[in-house]
Amino acid sequence: MGPSPPTAYRSRKKRRPEQSTSNGTVILDSSKTQKPAFPLVAFFWPAKGTNTSQWITLPVILMFVFLFRWCTGMWPYSGFQKPPMHGDFEAQRHWMELTANLPVTHWYFHDLEWWGLDYPPLTAYHSWMLGRIGWLIEPEWFRLYLSRGTDDAGLKVFMRATVVVSEFLIYIPAAVLCVRQLARLHNINAWESSIALTALLMQPATILIDHGHFQYNTVMLGFTLAAIASMLAGRPLWSCVFFVGALGFKQMALFYALAVAAYLAGICFSPRLDVPRLLAIAIVTLASFAVLFLPLLIGTAYDTYRNVPLPSDATIPPLLSSLPWQTSEKAWYYPYLIQLAQAIHRIFPFSRGLFEDKVANLWCAIHTSGLHKLHNYDSALLSRAALGLTLASITPPCALLFFLPKKAMIPYAFAATAWGFFLCSYQVHEKNVLLPLLPMTLLLATDGGMKAATRAWVGFANLLACWTLFPLLVKDQLRIPYFVLTGLWAWFMGLPPLSFKAYTVSGEEGGLSIVSKVLHLGVYATMVAWHVVEAWVPPPNDKPDLWVVANVCLGAAGFGLCYLWCLWRLVEESGLLSGKGPAKRGGEISKKKQ
Amino acid sequence: MADQYPTLLQCAVPATALKVLLWPAYRSTDFEVHRNWLAITHSLPLKEWYYEKTSEWTLDYPPFFAYFEWLLSQAAQFADRGMLEVKNLNYDSWQTVHFQRATVIVTELVLVYALYLFFKSSPPGSKKQAHAAALSILLSPGLLIIDHIHFQYNGFLYGILILSIVLARKPSGLLASGIVFAALLCLKHIYLYLAPAYFIYLLRAYCLGPRSIFTIRFANCIKLGAGIAVVAGLAFGPFVYYDQIPQVFSRLFPFSRGLCHAYWAPNVWALYSFSDRVLIYAAPYLKLPVNAEAVNSVTRGLVGDTSFAVLPNISPRMTFVMTLAAQIPALAKLFFRPTWDNFVATLTLCAYASFLFGWHVHEKAILLVIIPFSLLALKDRRHLGAFRPLAVSGHVSLFPLLFTAMEFPVKAVYTVVWLVVFLLAFDRLAPPSEKPRVFLLDRFSLLYISVAIPLLVYCSLVHQLVFGAKYEFLPLMFVSSYSAIGVVGSWVGFLVVFFTS
Repeated sequence: MGPSPPTAYRSRKKRRPEQSTSNGTVILDSSKTQKPAFPLVAFFWPAKGTNTSQWITLPVILMFVFLFRWCTGMWPYSGFQKPPMHGDFEAQRHWMELTANLPVTHWYFHDLEWWGLDYPPLTAYHSWMLGRIGWLIEPEWFRLYLSRGTDDAGLKVFMRATVVVSEFLIYIPAAVLCVRQLARLHNINAWESSIALTALLMQPATILIDHGHFQYNTVMLGFTLAAIASMLAGRPLWSCVFFVGALGFKQMALFYALAVAAYLAGICFSPRLDVPRLLAIAIVTLASFAVLFLPLLIGTAYDTYRNVPLPSDATIPPLLSSLPWQTSEKAWYYPYLIQLAQAIHRIFPFSRGLFEDKVANLWCAIHTSGLHKLHNYDSALLSRAALGLTLASITPPCALLFFLPKKAMIPYAFAATAWGFFLCSYQVHEKNVLLPLLPMTLLLATDGGMKAATRAWVGFANLLACWTLFPLLVKDQLRIPYFVLTGLWAWFMGLPPLSFKAYTVSGEEGGLSIVSKVLHLGVYATMVAWHVVEAWVPPPNDKPDLWVVANVCLGAAGFGLCYLWCLWRLVEESGLLSGKGPAKRGGEISKKKQ
Repeated sequence: MADQYPTLLQCAVPATALKVLLWPAYRSTDFEVHRNWLAITHSLPLKEWYYEKTSEWTLDYPPFFAYFEWLLSQAAQFADRGMLEVKNLNYDSWQTVHFQRATVIVTELVLVYALYLFFKSSPPGSKKQAHAAALSILLSPGLLIIDHIHFQYNGFLYGILILSIVLARKPSGLLASGIVFAALLCLKHIYLYLAPAYFIYLLRAYCLGPRSIFTIRFANCIKLGAGIAVVAGLAFGPFVYYDQIPQVFSRLFPFSRGLCHAYWAPNVWALYSFSDRVLIYAAPYLKLPVNAEAVNSVTRGLVGDTSFAVLPNISPRMTFVMTLAAQIPALAKLFFRPTWDNFVATLTLCAYASFLFGWHVHEKAILLVIIPFSLLALKDRRHLGAFRPLAVSGHVSLFPLLFTAMEFPVKAVYTVVWLVVFLLAFDRLAPPSEKPRVFLLDRFSLLYISVAIPLLVYCSLVHQLVFGAKYEFLPLMFVSSYSAIGVVGSWVGFLVVFFTS
């Protein structure tokens, strides 16, 4: 938007005048006048080619995205007035209540049945801080045992504000930095990268889950973005720190872990072996983990010093009893060991099922569609199958990234790895679709990212993902925000069902190939038809979940396509096929698919 | 000529999305007022409309608005019949809320259309300016706060007003403009404040000869008179038939209300009350008599009836005379130079006068000033200089309408975004003026705008931390006095611009 970027960009600006468009935001009509390629660009039109400073455009963008987040927060949240268990809102509130009230040693031992703390320590510290602040405002919101299921209007404002503040402190700065790094890498002017930033920040799925349903995913996603930005900036050690932050906030960041490891290991081995860098990465990662657990351990030391006993119902974590060596309860390190073991036991519940509720991944699709009933199988066998398939799906992207660690490949490799995890792994929630979506949406900020082909694929993944979240959002009474935010984003990006412009560009002119077009439009048509059917036709009596199952199956198939496309683009980007630089044509999944 | 981006419709899309997301937001009693009117017009025969008083929110808008509610109620029965029962006081099922909120959004399309006509009718040299002005009205924080959170139908009504103003741009549209304005008066009588400007303009430009004021165009007079008579007949005819006119008018013009509305509108009376407050403390030193009874009554700042402790009390008649006196110079200029620009400027000045000196003025009436002024603000830099403090103070003065925690960030952030975007855009687009600007005025507006931020921080945060619930009139009084300075300042600025150009 603003052609007077910070000093670091000035040299590039000279090489690349504002008028040259690389990214597909501007099209020429029949009379050779420039026009915005899709509606979002129109909003940046007044700033095009003028001297608008980033100090104006960035705050305006941030305030704009803030308004949509905050207004989404006015709608109900997960579990609003739904006893007995309520929902994610209550879980987060309860974590604030328990961390603010209980000694540190009790955090991971406290009552598992009522939303026991099962996220990594950074979430616990975050909850503790918010719980303390909330306690200052209104203690009634966070009374141990007594505040369960509170639905006070003031509490809602407080909780919604904590999500927004956490996001604006972590996710949004990281997104700004990451988009800037991508712009630098791909030589994209500041005006176009502002458009990409807005598109990224208006991603409907993220807003709906965090500010509607209620979660703090953006903290974890923000750390991930910061890690990606550090990789792009050539600061691998910082990326270790940030990624440990992401893992330490929500274990689901493991979706990306192998891609992160592959890239970081890759840059140590090519172009030549760099042992000091490898050592530094290993040490910084370990140190970050140590720092992550340090407050927990300091708290344990303090409680040991005060002689605070563990809760009466505490059992020895199975992890500890399965250790190959005997640990004495008298040893000085025993309390620390038991805390760590219990935390890890809570964070990774291996005993839970293959998938939760109805999620658009491979296993759920196979199971619910009646193709194969999976509960006949032994759970150990299933988890081994899941592990094997996940590894098979993520090995190609991770191997490519390891052997050819190019910065431009990072978003594709992250997206492909996360899609692989989402589709094939164990214990997946429908909300986890945010993880593959993030790196995929980042593609908008890369070279040619807003040309028809990439925009169509990124939009396809985002809109399909929102659609698979619809059954969840209906439960939370978020039907209207779903239609508003998803529709708005589709309209902004010029995508179906509101615009078919991206599909009128021919394959030779940077559009999609005919097969992709047919596949996309078929899926869009099915999604629209599904909404009509879901709204007006009740499912048959013996199959009450029929519509949800249809949703899951189509979602899994569509996500499979997204995985294949990311993989294909990754291969193209790596230059393996052409033998020269990265290939320029996108959207050629068809060859691979058919 | 290249198209202007973003287009009006393009801006309407995200604005509508935001407005839909605001459906569950806080809503004032005006929501219940309009629900009650839906119920009255739907379930009672016409002759009982202006007598019905089950709810305290009786029908006090002119008949066209009642017909409008009747029309809406025909659709409302498909959303939820419950809202159409007169006895269902404070009925707010989600269907009712969504239906009423949706009607505000849908009827606002009139505004979009009127702004589109404004853009189309503007001369080719000032298309960009007209486009920016149209967008600023469409996205106005005033309309967002009053219509889509607080709940009213101003977008629809101001759409009709702009339609009428735009029609007046061409000589062939003058008759239609007059009739549309008459219809607007029958929708909401607050627009009577603007009637003097219409009267003078139509008289001079339509009824009298273009060369000499002594040639009277009788055909035009008859057409206009007949048109207005038909409109008035449609509106009030049925009530004349039932012989209810005194009752209707007693509902429309309740003279028993006080000088200041519950919240202080930022007009001279706010400054007057503020000075009175200050004088209470200064009076012993100045040896002035203090009316002890009044000391307690003004302190609240929340009551309708205001009496003053030190300064003389104000009667409705005085406000009426002052309002008229303030309007006459502008009307005189319009009479001698009946151009469209002067017409819009006079409309603005009439609105200023009635807002500043009127009896029982609502803070919402500031839109009456801002919206016509927006059409002129980009004429040149001098106009913009006068508009700037109004844009800030007018919108800040609406802030006390919303006092809930959830809505605070919406009103504040939306207004800031609007101010940043449009003040910058206007600054870029306003052509230089032919006459030199008044240096002092520019400094004043810069200083004025920069005071807004600490003031708002104090009123929304610091005051509560320091005093808690005590002195709750203080923030209100500061906001309205601050805004009053801005409104008065911009009025003076605009007067200078108008009479020197």
